[in-house]
Amino acid sequence: MIASALAGNEVLASWPLRQAGFAVVGLGLLFLMAAVDYRLLPSITYPIYVLLLGVLGVILVIGTIAGGAQRWLTVGEFLLQPSELIKIGVILVLAHYLAAREAKMESFVTPLLGILLLAPAVVLIFLQPNLGTALVLIVIAATMFFIAGLRWRHIVVLVGLGIAAAVAAWEFVLLDYMRDRIWMFINPSAALAADRYNVDQAIISIGSGGWLGRGLFRGSQSQLHFLRIRHTDFIFSVTAEELGFVGAVVLILLLVFLLLRLLRIASMARDTYGRLIVSGVAAMIMFQMTVNIGMNLSLLPVTGLPLPFISYGGSALWTMLIGIGLAESVAMRYRKIEFE
Amino acid sequence: MKASLDRAEARLMLWRGAIIFVCIVMIARLWQLQMVEGETYRIRADRNRFRQVDIPAPRGVIYDRNGEILARNRPSFSVSVVPGDLPKTRAGEPNADAERAVLDRLLALLAQEPPPLGSSSKPTASPTPAAGRIQSTAAITTALQIQERQPWVMARADIEKAIYEGRLGGAYRPIEIARYINEATAFLVAQDAVNLPGVVLQLNPIRDYPSGSLTAHLIGYMGHIPKEAAAEYQAKGYAANEQVGLTGLEATYEHELRGKRGRQTIEVNVNGRRIRTVGQEELAVPGHNLVLTLDLNLQRVATAALQEVLDKSSGFTKATQGVVIALDPRNGKVLALVSLPSYDNNLFAKGVTAEAWQALLSDPDLPMFDQAIGGQYPPGSVFKPIVAAAGLQEGIISARTLLGDGWDGANDGIIWLPNQYMPWDRSKDQPFYSWNHKQGFGWGKIGVREALAVSDDIYFYQLGGGYLDIFRGLGVDAIGYYAREFGLGEGTGIDLPGEGRGLVPDGKWKRLNYAEPWLTGDTYNLSIGQGFILVTPIQMANATAVIANRGYLYRLQLVDHITDSEGRVVRSFKPDLRREVAVDPAHLDTVREGMYGAVNWPQGTAANARVPGIAVAGKTGTAEYFRDWDKDNQADRDAKGNLPTHAWFTAFAPYQEPEIVVAAFVANGGEGSSVAAPVAAKVLRAYFGIDASAPRPTASPAPTRTPGPQAGR
Repeated sequence: MIASALAGNEVLASWPLRQAGFAVVGLGLLFLMAAVDYRLLPSITYPIYVLLLGVLGVILVIGTIAGGAQRWLTVGEFLLQPSELIKIGVILVLAHYLAAREAKMESFVTPLLGILLLAPAVVLIFLQPNLGTALVLIVIAATMFFIAGLRWRHIVVLVGLGIAAAVAAWEFVLLDYMRDRIWMFINPSAALAADRYNVDQAIISIGSGGWLGRGLFRGSQSQLHFLRIRHTDFIFSVTAEELGFVGAVVLILLLVFLLLRLLRIASMARDTYGRLIVSGVAAMIMFQMTVNIGMNLSLLPVTGLPLPFISYGGSALWTMLIGIGLAESVAMRYRKIEFE
Repeated sequence: MKASLDRAEARLMLWRGAIIFVCIVMIARLWQLQMVEGETYRIRADRNRFRQVDIPAPRGVIYDRNGEILARNRPSFSVSVVPGDLPKTRAGEPNADAERAVLDRLLALLAQEPPPLGSSSKPTASPTPAAGRIQSTAAITTALQIQERQPWVMARADIEKAIYEGRLGGAYRPIEIARYINEATAFLVAQDAVNLPGVVLQLNPIRDYPSGSLTAHLIGYMGHIPKEAAAEYQAKGYAANEQVGLTGLEATYEHELRGKRGRQTIEVNVNGRRIRTVGQEELAVPGHNLVLTLDLNLQRVATAALQEVLDKSSGFTKATQGVVIALDPRNGKVLALVSLPSYDNNLFAKGVTAEAWQALLSDPDLPMFDQAIGGQYPPGSVFKPIVAAAGLQEGIISARTLLGDGWDGANDGIIWLPNQYMPWDRSKDQPFYSWNHKQGFGWGKIGVREALAVSDDIYFYQLGGGYLDIFRGLGVDAIGYYAREFGLGEGTGIDLPGEGRGLVPDGKWKRLNYAEPWLTGDTYNLSIGQGFILVTPIQMANATAVIANRGYLYRLQLVDHITDSEGRVVRSFKPDLRREVAVDPAHLDTVREGMYGAVNWPQGTAANARVPGIAVAGKTGTAEYFRDWDKDNQADRDAKGNLPTHAWFTAFAPYQEPEIVVAAFVANGGEGSSVAAPVAAKVLRAYFGIDASAPRPTASPAPTRTPGPQAGR
């Protein structure tokens, strides 16, 4: 229900009708997921995960080339983004795995095996290359480990390893444009005006919004296209410009309210499996929201992560709605345990 | 189980804290951007979308006195390509195939011959409005042809390169790929706009000079602001890329012609496309129009007559440069001002090519140089009327004083001047020749009128420099004083840039420049307009006007009045009298009679200047000058040992109440009487509307006030 309140707020995209269509289909998926008892999912979790990994592998080779990255799978008229759906796959797989190994959390083997389970998805996504989504997967996994009760000593070790891996990745794995974006964020004055264009225009858009904004469809920055990638990455800037401080804060509060509701579902879930599914979904939404809005506000470097529920994109919206559907499925079945 | 549940609950609490923290940070940042710094960003957003654009003001039109257009504005189209607007693939990448197709189509259209005017869908659109006029003047000379501007189209490879480079920089900055496209072709491109995405058609007014080279020296041309004057123009509100009048009337009246640019604020999108106009538009004020005193028909006749003389010349007197000036002696208005060779100032309207510019600059005949106002030459005998007037005014001679011309049988046409340092040794005397010495005839003792009519050198040697103790002459200072009175040695004040001052020499000048004292021989030369003296043709024309109007020196003017764009007169030019020359009008009448005689008496030198039905007065001049074509450091001489000469003729008519003064000058032309006088006669015939084919009269009807000449002497 929370989700449906938010999902329709897609007035600013270039193809609002298309997006509305996606939303309708997405809502169908939501109800479908909510209706299905999540406890039936483990039986098909692994096959779906392997299937998605297979698809990722295939599009690496033959995917339609777009935006310099191979991210699309053409299905009929639509460009499907498997990298969005893999998030759900990772959530389900890890939830199942961690719930099964709940008793063995004292062992360091548990997180290591979990990481092995996660690794193929992260590597395939990164090779696309799509640093943002790869990071989303890592954050989802980390959060789920954390909620599953990963021991502090393991956390210290893993964080240490993570930092080491990040340094190594900076040196050997990251592509130039990724490095540039990060440098640009760290030292904005050194960057060329042309490179900073998007970020600058986003700040100008947000700043010129004022209290109540310039009115829907009346923001000069977005309507005259000074702001680019308006309907995806910088949709928050459009909102802030046209609906102002009030509108932007309302949007943030709605997302925060959604997150808090998800965490309530997690804490009231009848079993660890359900709690972990909801945690994964919440982690996904929170990370994407933080990174996207943070980027719009020049608090974080530029990454192409869409704003959950708001940005244009069918696969992304469906992924979010499926996630909410899973959470609802858990929520609809927690009362029973409450009475026990 | 319980432990893990508690642990999960605790960690969920931690997470909730993180969410609240993130939420607070975001809202704080929003507050900072929108509330605290909001004003700054609002201004930056406005700077993004608003542009101040200039509305160009139409430049004033220049007309001749009969309303013929000499300078106007005409539309010129240019075609640009905006790389960012060229066809794209669905993913937003440049679509090479579609792009090539657009260029193919565009270049094919531009290469197409414009449809013939008669069958054109826009019958009123005439790309060659001046065509009729070209034909009427085509007979004159090819140099006067006004060429249709050739369209310029960038080469295919260069276009593709420019588009590629444009994408790296500002993809929405238009790249100009073709210029001076005529209206018909521009129309074709506009019609096909649907198939030409990213192609932009622009209208730029450029200056058009229908009379081209006929009036190029007068009208001048426009160009980019010269670097050295950049600050000056900027202070007057010019934009850096603006064009200004560089020479001619375009330069002199720049401030009148220019008008005032309008301004408006427009809202643009990221591509720089206009979305709407904001606020009140500041309208452009068109420049003022100039109506000249010039008569284009007379200018045309004068040019044709002069060109004919130049074309016919050959050999030792091969002439390439010449001047014809016609003035109204009653008010100083210029009726015609011709300097040949000329150039087509239309070349400059579209930006002259480096080759054409070099060709103009390196031409030895200096087509870019207005010799009428800038050329400085010895006047020769056309200077004599001034000396005669000086002699009469100073009382050196009266109208009846007779002086011998040395024609006594022994010294035919020669006057001998004693050596400055050994005056007692007559064997060291220096001879001064009269021009008719070689012809072998003379006049004996004659008066000043006859001396002017026959252009007697020896009379003027004596009048200017005196002769021994027998006759006291004017002397160099008196001649210089009167020369300056008649406007020599200073500009005429004509409203054109580049006027020469000429040179009226005196003793001090010679000491400073030659470290030698002034000699009587120098005065002799000066008396017949030779030696050191230099004049511009226009000075000589104006000095003749002073004689014609009996003593009034006017500032010369080319502009009669100035109107605004609605045709209302905003300024009209009154005759500007600079001075009344200090010579008694009665004495000037005596000089006028001599000039009448030159044309009309049997022995007069200027019979070629007669015009049927009109009493013409004039003075010929054949001015020797130093020339060294063969580069042997010796003055060139013809077969008979004569120095090369410039041909001069100054005239006014009608004799009684002169309406027009004509000065004709042909550099290296030879005899003034046979070369320059006929040119002036043609101009006078045209002015008085006398058919050129009418028989040349043997003599004009004698003016009533003129005493009968002593003909037959």
